Amino acid sequence: MTPTPPSPGTPIPSSGSPPIPTAPPAPRVPPAPSVGRARRTRSGVVGLYRVLRANPLSFIGFIVVTFIAILALFVVFAPHLVAHYGAQQETGVYNSGPTLFQWPPSLAHPFGTDGASYDIFSEVMLALPTDLGIGFAIAGFALIVGGGLGLVAGFWDKPGSLSGYTSSFIMRVTDVFLAFPSLVLALALVASIGKGTIQAMIAIMLTWWPYYVRLVRGEVLAVKHLPYVTAARAAGVRETKILTRHVLRNVLEPVIVYFTLDIGTVLVIFSTISFVGVGVPYPSNAPEWGSMMSFYQENYPFQIYWWAITFPALAIFVTVLSFSLLGDGLRDVLDPRSRRALAESGAHEPPPEANVGEPPVLPVPAMTAAPSNVGVDVGGVP
Amino acid sequence: MTEPVLKVENLSVDYDVGAGVFHAASNVSFTLPPGRVVGIVGETGCGKSTLGQAIPRLLPEPPAVIRSGKIIFQGTDLVPVPKNKLPMVRGTSIGMIFQEPLNSLNPAFRVYDQIAESIQIRHWREIGDLPMFQPGPTPFDYSHRELPKAEQVLTKPFLPGEKVQEAARHRLVSRDDYKREVLDYLRLVRINDPETILHLYPHELSGGMRQRIMIAMTLSQKPTLLIADEPTSALDVTIQAQVLTLMKELIEEVHASILFISHDLGVVAEMADDLGVMYAGALVEIGPIAEVFKSPRHPYTKALLRAIPSQYKTDGPLASIPGNVPNLSRLPSGCSFHPRCPLAQAICRADPPPALPDTPHAAACHFSDQVASLP
Repeated sequence: MTPTPPSPGTPIPSSGSPPIPTAPPAPRVPPAPSVGRARRTRSGVVGLYRVLRANPLSFIGFIVVTFIAILALFVVFAPHLVAHYGAQQETGVYNSGPTLFQWPPSLAHPFGTDGASYDIFSEVMLALPTDLGIGFAIAGFALIVGGGLGLVAGFWDKPGSLSGYTSSFIMRVTDVFLAFPSLVLALALVASIGKGTIQAMIAIMLTWWPYYVRLVRGEVLAVKHLPYVTAARAAGVRETKILTRHVLRNVLEPVIVYFTLDIGTVLVIFSTISFVGVGVPYPSNAPEWGSMMSFYQENYPFQIYWWAITFPALAIFVTVLSFSLLGDGLRDVLDPRSRRALAESGAHEPPPEANVGEPPVLPVPAMTAAPSNVGVDVGGVP
Repeated sequence: MTEPVLKVENLSVDYDVGAGVFHAASNVSFTLPPGRVVGIVGETGCGKSTLGQAIPRLLPEPPAVIRSGKIIFQGTDLVPVPKNKLPMVRGTSIGMIFQEPLNSLNPAFRVYDQIAESIQIRHWREIGDLPMFQPGPTPFDYSHRELPKAEQVLTKPFLPGEKVQEAARHRLVSRDDYKREVLDYLRLVRINDPETILHLYPHELSGGMRQRIMIAMTLSQKPTLLIADEPTSALDVTIQAQVLTLMKELIEEVHASILFISHDLGVVAEMADDLGVMYAGALVEIGPIAEVFKSPRHPYTKALLRAIPSQYKTDGPLASIPGNVPNLSRLPSGCSFHPRCPLAQAICRADPPPALPDTPHAAACHFSDQVASLP
């Protein structure tokens, strides 16, 4: 009983079933251009474009977000192209109430000016990077901290062991935080650690991560018992790698979508805190939409000076809306199923030819017993 | 003679859930010699899959608990192995094909990435970057080498000897190296046009193709022992025939030791050398397949064989076994088959049947000799 096994690494198929002598040699078809390569590039930038284009609303969101991001870069690196700060400033006196220097929107000042003759368009533009940065920082912190805790709590939750206690502890702390309305908790935190931009950010960060813990843990719990995770485990993949490669990749999709939507929510929350007057002080060198609204609402009656408060509010509205629309479309981009379908749907190309190269070795012998008119497909061979 | 690849001794697995303790496997013992295919058959819920997953310790513990017994894989008991050492055993030593090909591939990765991951694990173990359980460049070849004792290997990370490293000296470094290997294994499982399949996602493949990818993934690790847990149950008959033909050819080509779990006696008859029959968590009969089919020694096996519909039967009801499979948390007293057994006597209700005798063809029944002689 010494069957000679094939040496490893060599292609085994040819040794198994000898080619059927009666079969005529398959006609040599010149190999078609590699289909796989074309497919692979298509899921890049072009694929992203096609997927987004299939969903017009999210495509609008994508364009607006891109535009906002470019605008923010301009404000940071070339502010004088976008805003003229202080150009109209003559007195430098704030909080002085309405003066004769307020103008409704005009060509020179598209959003009008305020009592100190500040150009509101410039102020809104200058606030853009601040607001975006704050939104990303808070949501990003929550994503990393909350998401990490959620991964750990969901993946290692064997009851009765150390990991189980850790998981329970994380979840109970999360529950405590979730039991408070986060806005009220954030306000209370700001009240205790003091007013200011950084303080407000810390307060929201501390109240924001529990949502991610809950979301990620739920997703991990759903994914970790799926057969492909067991299959990876059976293949000898280590637990940490199963978590970071197999589970994380499948959890990512809803989390990224939630994150994108959340940036808008965080902006609103932060603006609310500023509006109440404990966030970014206004006027300041780095204005913020919420504090602008707060300031104008206090000092300029909306019935007369409607432009002062409308445009910062519109800025928040447009930013939040565009992020929400983008988040909706990202779901399609991140899911391989819909991505491939949508990326292919827009392509006006002839269908790829079958790549008929070498005649494959087939498990024919067992099937030859079937009557010839039954047309059993044994693997795609004529 | 040669040491068995796998020896299961008195294995008992329970599921300890709120509703009670389910004895999914009780006192299962069998031996898998190198190069043989052992088939395990039984009704739904009789503990076949539990047994298959318990061997590489894949069952989630808890709720599953290995109450007693030994799983001796190449001379090493796997039951006391700590959890963080288990990945060493899985994959390159014990490979597994699952019963749900539709869900057993990660939907987020392309076919290439899935197979390349398996190849990478095997390769890293061969060249010594990862510890492995059983060193050897040709794990299928049992006849030329002595199987190493692996107990030390499991207790501390093991670097394979010079011989192994030399055999694997051609490091797979570039993507092309991996691609070549992946293509080899795709061709091995008779995938048509593997160059294209490489870049597809699992949802773009048919069920039979996914199962073949699954088989390619498992084989690419060159496992010493292959556990096939109903590899064809989710497929339709045409695809089932393809996959079985493929597996049969692969068995002949690679001469692997396989534990083949199925509920289909016809499939097992096609594939296996030995046949084990499970009922209510216990292995009631085991023996060379021809003997088991010809002269079953357990009434359950006899009834099962009688229940196979014969091809030309046109009238009357099909034969069946009366009654139901007992609840695994409340097994009947004595022999668990006695409520459905036509031959049950008083002793069957009172005493559990004797343990499987140490003969090639054994059955756990008080009257196994009489059953064999019945028509």
